[in-house]
Amino acid sequence: MKKGLLLCILTDSHFWIPVIVLLFGVALLIHLS
Amino acid sequence: MHGLGVACGIAAGAWLGSAEAPTKLVDAGYSPIVISLCMVAGVFTARWTLPTLMKGTRYVFADLRAKAHLIVWGILAGALWAVANTLTVFAIKNVGLSIAFPLWNTNSLIGLLWGCLLFRELRGGGAKNWIKVVGGGVAIVIATITLGLASVHPSGGGSPHAAAGVMAALGASLLWGTMYLPYRKAYLSGMNPLSFVTVFTVGELGTMAILASTIHVEGASMAAQFHQLRPEIFWLFLGGFCWVIGDMFQQYATKYIGIGRGIPLSNTNQLWGLAWGALVFSELRNASDHNRFVIVASSLLMIVGAIAIGSASAAAKEHLSVNEAIARECDRYGLDYNKAVAAQAGLAHGEGGDDRAWWDYLIIVIGLGVFVYLGIGAHRPPLEMNVHWIVILATALFALLGASGWMLWKKTRFS
Repeated sequence: MKKGLLLCILTDSHFWIPVIVLLFGVALLIHLS
Repeated sequence: MHGLGVACGIAAGAWLGSAEAPTKLVDAGYSPIVISLCMVAGVFTARWTLPTLMKGTRYVFADLRAKAHLIVWGILAGALWAVANTLTVFAIKNVGLSIAFPLWNTNSLIGLLWGCLLFRELRGGGAKNWIKVVGGGVAIVIATITLGLASVHPSGGGSPHAAAGVMAALGASLLWGTMYLPYRKAYLSGMNPLSFVTVFTVGELGTMAILASTIHVEGASMAAQFHQLRPEIFWLFLGGFCWVIGDMFQQYATKYIGIGRGIPLSNTNQLWGLAWGALVFSELRNASDHNRFVIVASSLLMIVGAIAIGSASAAAKEHLSVNEAIARECDRYGLDYNKAVAAQAGLAHGEGGDDRAWWDYLIIVIGLGVFVYLGIGAHRPPLEMNVHWIVILATALFALLGASGWMLWKKTRFS
């Protein structure tokens, strides 16, 4: 993947919402297991 | 495209709900992680059967290359699904299905929130459409809750880990509701749902494999459980096959009518799961008259909610608002705005063509071969089933598949 495209993804405010939610889900899973 | 999206949403509900039926044939006693991994493997395999017939790999990979940034989004969506699905296992274990299921089924309201906030859905839709969509969505959630409470035997209510179970169910709801964000993102960019599902299943299988290898599995070792499960894996794969068909329709519904309308419609899956349980497996044979009344009333409420959403056709002003969301994606990722708008309207037929390569047929044969291999010698547990209702429900499923599939082909050529 091109560097410019990756930068576009990383600076997209929409991108961080599912990432944060996913990290929260993984943390919850680790806590529960 | 509203009618097409509604038809896809209803077909999605039917197939997603029916995905539960084959899994009922699997004996209890295996680790939920092992069961979930087998079902996801079935989903992955099924992706390469019927969907490959709809659009060949040349088309799919050309579409993915043209919108490479969405590969990351697809994998992210698959990962969200896998983590949410595993959380539901913990939720069921700690508070029982009757409490957990209604909690995680509020995901459509979270999807609706993201649709309104991030993708300008329902903006300019007018008060009438707002009432129909939000009211219909809320009616479906209420119906889901009451159906869940009336049709499932309570278990684990007194669990010492009840708070953890509730947290797991709410976490699953948040993850699934947020999973629709990548879905919508992909379709505003003009991606074909078949391309998105391809990457989605890779993310799903990869994450599930990581979870299975890192989370402690209850009972015997994973290898031993797989060996024991071998005669029943076919049922899990069959469930995965139904799930893929349902998810395909859910993706098309999201593409053509958005998250706010598409997801509540596909969440009518509860009704179909209940129909299989009650009519084929006679699960409600001991239900009280009160519970039967609640089930019928909830089912009617769910149908009313679906009709309300189905009749809330987007006005011109709302379409303009969605076009602004498309323009945002095109500006950011350097996409062709006109092509993306055309794809939203199902007019991207000509791109990539419909030709299949010889390897597409080979992939389909291998995919089907896996199902045949697992089907040979599959163990059918001595479970009482009503064949009459199996035929009726299967006929309804295939009628919906045929009618919605035909509409999709006629209007969009599966674009």
